[in-house]
Amino acid sequence: MGKSSKDKRDLYYRKAKEEGYRARSAYKLLQLNDNFHFLDDPSLKRVVDLCAAPGSWSQVLSRKLFEGSDQQDRRIVAVDLQTMSPIDHVTTLQADITHPRTLQRILQLFGDEPADLVISDGAPDVTGLHDLDEYVQQQLVMSALQLACCVLKPKGSFIAKVFRGRDIDLLYSQLACLFTHVTCAKPRSSRSTSLEAFVVCQGYQPPADWTPKLDPSQSVQQFFQHCLPNGKHIAPFMACGSLESFDSDATYTSTCSTDPIATGDKHKPSLNPVQQPTNPPYKQALLLKRQGRLSRHVR
Amino acid sequence: MEYLTHYGPSLCVKLQGNLVYAGYGPFLHVHDLETGELINRCRIFRRNKIHGIAVNGEGALLLFGARSISIIGSKDASGCPDMSQDEKLLDEWIMSGQFSQTGDQTYLLTSYNKVLIRDLEGNVLATKGIDGEKSILYSGSITVFGPDKVLINAGTVMGGVLIWDLYEEELLHNLKGHEGSIFYVTISENGRYVASCSDDRSVRLWDLTTGDLLSVGWGHTARIWNLKFYDNSSKLVSVSEDCTCRVWKIVEDEESQASLEQKGVYEAHLTKNIWGVDVDSCGRKAITSGNDGRLKVIELDHPRIDNDEQSYTLQEIADQTGIIADKDEIIKGFHWFDFGLVAITSQGKIVLFESFNDTWTFLFTDDQFASYSSTHGISSDNVVVFANNKSDLLALKFDKDGKHVIAKTKMHVSDLTKTNNCMIRKESPTTFLVLLESPNPRENLVCMRFNLSTLEMEKTFSLKKPESFVSSCLEVYQHFLLVGSRFSTLAVFDLKKVECPAYLISKMTPGDTTTSIQFVEDLGDSQVFSVTNRDGYYTFIKIYLKGASRGDGKDYEIIQSNKIVRGFLEGAQFNAHGDYITHGFKSSLFYIYNETSCYEITSHICGGAHRQWKLCEDDKGSILVYIKASTLFFKRFNNSKTPETLCAGIHGREIRDITIRKQKKYKDGYLFCTGSEDTTIKLMHVNEQSGKMTNYWTQRKHVSGLQRCQFIKENLMISSSAREELFLWELNTEGDSRPYIALRQSLPVSSNLPDLRIMDFDVKFLGASQNFILATVYSDSTIKVWLYDSEQNTFTTIINGDYKTCCILNVFLTPICDQLFLAIAPTDGHLIFYNITEHIPFEIDEKSGELIDNDLDLSLMDLPDYDCRLEVHQSGIKCMSHVLEQGNELFIYTGGDDNALGITIAKLDAATGKLNARVLDFQPQAAASTMTSCSLISNGTKLLTTSVDQIVRLWDITENKLIKHSSEYTTIADTGCSDAVQTKDTRHLALIGGVGLSALRIDL
Repeated sequence: MGKSSKDKRDLYYRKAKEEGYRARSAYKLLQLNDNFHFLDDPSLKRVVDLCAAPGSWSQVLSRKLFEGSDQQDRRIVAVDLQTMSPIDHVTTLQADITHPRTLQRILQLFGDEPADLVISDGAPDVTGLHDLDEYVQQQLVMSALQLACCVLKPKGSFIAKVFRGRDIDLLYSQLACLFTHVTCAKPRSSRSTSLEAFVVCQGYQPPADWTPKLDPSQSVQQFFQHCLPNGKHIAPFMACGSLESFDSDATYTSTCSTDPIATGDKHKPSLNPVQQPTNPPYKQALLLKRQGRLSRHVR
Repeated sequence: MEYLTHYGPSLCVKLQGNLVYAGYGPFLHVHDLETGELINRCRIFRRNKIHGIAVNGEGALLLFGARSISIIGSKDASGCPDMSQDEKLLDEWIMSGQFSQTGDQTYLLTSYNKVLIRDLEGNVLATKGIDGEKSILYSGSITVFGPDKVLINAGTVMGGVLIWDLYEEELLHNLKGHEGSIFYVTISENGRYVASCSDDRSVRLWDLTTGDLLSVGWGHTARIWNLKFYDNSSKLVSVSEDCTCRVWKIVEDEESQASLEQKGVYEAHLTKNIWGVDVDSCGRKAITSGNDGRLKVIELDHPRIDNDEQSYTLQEIADQTGIIADKDEIIKGFHWFDFGLVAITSQGKIVLFESFNDTWTFLFTDDQFASYSSTHGISSDNVVVFANNKSDLLALKFDKDGKHVIAKTKMHVSDLTKTNNCMIRKESPTTFLVLLESPNPRENLVCMRFNLSTLEMEKTFSLKKPESFVSSCLEVYQHFLLVGSRFSTLAVFDLKKVECPAYLISKMTPGDTTTSIQFVEDLGDSQVFSVTNRDGYYTFIKIYLKGASRGDGKDYEIIQSNKIVRGFLEGAQFNAHGDYITHGFKSSLFYIYNETSCYEITSHICGGAHRQWKLCEDDKGSILVYIKASTLFFKRFNNSKTPETLCAGIHGREIRDITIRKQKKYKDGYLFCTGSEDTTIKLMHVNEQSGKMTNYWTQRKHVSGLQRCQFIKENLMISSSAREELFLWELNTEGDSRPYIALRQSLPVSSNLPDLRIMDFDVKFLGASQNFILATVYSDSTIKVWLYDSEQNTFTTIINGDYKTCCILNVFLTPICDQLFLAIAPTDGHLIFYNITEHIPFEIDEKSGELIDNDLDLSLMDLPDYDCRLEVHQSGIKCMSHVLEQGNELFIYTGGDDNALGITIAKLDAATGKLNARVLDFQPQAAASTMTSCSLISNGTKLLTTSVDQIVRLWDITENKLIKHSSEYTTIADTGCSDAVQTKDTRHLALIGGVGLSALRIDL
């Protein structure tokens, strides 16, 4: 999340900076919680945040789980292939979520106790080939689900970002054979023009005769080959966050005092991002472009 | 439902001899490269898109995409409409596929870096892979060197390029250096190089033997999607998200160190993403396929063969002709003919260049034309005219070969004290006109008619020059002279009534110099001319030349207005296919552009606009003659013998809205408009029978992505987008050759917020007039109602208010009994009804629901409180359709972001006088994803819906219930809009838009 962005219209973007979140996606988790209250459960002890970088969901977990007293036995583990700056009360692992070693380390950190909740806000680089993007996203969700199946306690919950494109019903069906309740949730902070939504899966209930086991030589298809869905399933939809919360599709003018762009208050400084963006892969290309060395024609 | 046509992204292209295979969603299109003809459209897969094509020695095709694969023969590909019965499905996503060297086996690389070896029946003979951490691939290719020697080139999401030996199952290289995901990797046929590209925007060349990085190619400004070695592995072509196709030469130095040198950049596609590329076996033509659905043929530069630019300094010309060039003598003017060029120097030396043997000849010197002269010609008749500033003219006519001067005229025009501009134009098969202008604004324009054969002057016309007029271009139509000027002004003179002052048409566009005027077509009582302006605007203007004005005193009408993409516009004309071709300059380039199909035909680096130049036509094509650094250049652009595109394509990005002009047919189908995220609106035609679509115009008035477009009457269309842009367009279909569309008026804006979007609008006309009230809803919850007065051409706000703070997605106006209601659907999932009867300056006829003008006062009122607010959906209502029955029962069909479809009924409560609404039917799982459009068809008995799950559904409306009638998968991702028209009693034509555009026939 940079200092200037085309998303300036978005009040959540501004609010995230003001409230110290690394990304506006923090509000998506908060709004999911507004309806499902999974973070308000006093018995919630162990949470895994997958594909966690830059860490806004871990920030939410950290604040929610450690705001009152008596959190001695609470633990949060955040996993990502990329590096992450530290967050209070969160153990960060730079690791591959598909590797059994990662699973071992999480279980070690939990003292060999299963997790209550696994969440994932991961998304791939979107290419613009919708079918490929949706496939890669589903593979990412399935990889997260693999790990979740290995660490979750019975009746535990799993939350992951999905793209609601074609074949989303296949994913719903897969989830429905592992959880008693699967809901497709759309927080109001997620734009309605975006395909993004979240599957909230509650009541983990794996088939009785199945012992999930991570094997790096296996594909996700092979991992789930003994609990394949029968028939298509459409998860019920739930809009999350109250109607009074900001509408991410709306243009705010004078109703919000926090946004200098919207209020036209030029004296109010533009806030620095909470965390500088990570190095984009095209950093050198940007530099060359600024120097005028990438052109539309051969000189 | 039956698919007639599909236009949309083409992900891959393969050249095989004279055939071009291209994947369009699940369809394979087969084109003839020479004629461009679409030989066949064959369905290969039921749902999945074709991502890649390989061909074996017998010409059989291996097609793959997602989890699907098929092998079909070349005969079936070229002749069979549907081969989807041969589709096979795999467990994994296929990144690449290739035939074995013998052609009897296939290799399939999966996204998990495994290779399946299969026979042609699909039996898996072996599965190969390499050990190590598995990482999902973003790309891959397979290089077959022999029956036992096959290399797998895999690009991972984490920046790794893995080259491994298939049969040895051994990793040869893990090439490191790229940042981000690898989007393509390939090996050269000669086995020397690996080329790869990634998110980091670089092309990298590696040594296959050592794995050393040889060179990094920078140039692309966005992600690179595909690479292809060609010309015996000496060149590489790359295609990118930045819509360019670039040619890289692999240059080897003395130590055989290879490096990439960028040799060519071709702007081939619109807005975003070229996905596929292939090059013919001789390295002359590349074909690219893009997100815009275009198949572009690129003539690759070949300096050895083409040699199509020549240059001469005056000294070189002097050396050849034996003249002595002065130290500061320069070339002053020139004109190109079929035989070559005639030029004059600043010393009045006239020289001639014969193009068949590249020879210069000195003709003669005329001192009177030294220092100041201008040169003009009529190429078809070999006539050149020189003029100087003292009002002298010298005209020469050459024979066919340019060998002899066969007529010559020299004269002084005494009517003018001085001349600073001379223009000439052919008037008839036997005459041409010369127009001379004096710098003195009080002196008349002098027009002279000359005989084309003898060069004798036949007649002089003295024309009163309009005020502040500086002529810049000339057109002659019958006895009318049309002269363009600065400030986008045009003067029309009648040579039969020279005493009458010119008819002036001023400031047609913001106001630069008029650069060309061209007669386009005769509409009977009026004539159409195309006018270009240097600032990039072009207009088509209908002029009642013969005085029969259109009735309101105006003698002209702008029927088409638009602006080119970028740069200066110097001229335009229609080509033989009826495509509008523009030319001009952008930065240091001269360009020729096909405006109808939106592609650059050619461009050439000439240094930019500030120079002497002339674009001339001859029998082979056009020639740009220009002077750069005191050197004369001829650059030839030959007319392509083969098509420049095999499929012109559509928008570069998602189509956001479609509107069919249902009121009236046009030719053998319907006109329709599409509004896209790429900020343009296209005016197109769809053939009712075949579904074939033709583009006429691409309007560029909007500066942000379109939200809505809607025909509100046979000749009027409205479009809206962010920045509060709402434009009223007028359609003109009088001509035989093409329809025209021009901006009639823009809605006033209230702020400068770039994000403030007009999400939707609706109109209600005042009887049969062209006046209407317009309701607009905004992304900041504002609701406005306007009155459009067509005579004044003004929009006046009559109601202003807001709902809450959320974005309003949809609106409509409807009468119920003698009341007028405004209904909105915001992102909060509610339907809200406002009774605005007392807030508009009209009354409503209870029987017809029509507005009646009783001369009520026009005043701005606040939006009243709503009558009724009803929760229908959980979140945004994305689409809405309504029908009023018996004048008092309003049925509203809504589709939401919550996957649901609902029917709501609204009625006036007799007791309270308020509107009451309730939900009649609600289908919470009408789709697996967001509902994006719904259209009532078949007299309101059926509802056609689209949703992001890529299913088009048809619903029966029976006793206020929605019952699914039928459904059809669509290959259009981000399915976002639709419109349908009833073409026969039981037949409808539907257009579905999103990332692509399809025509469907629905028979009920």
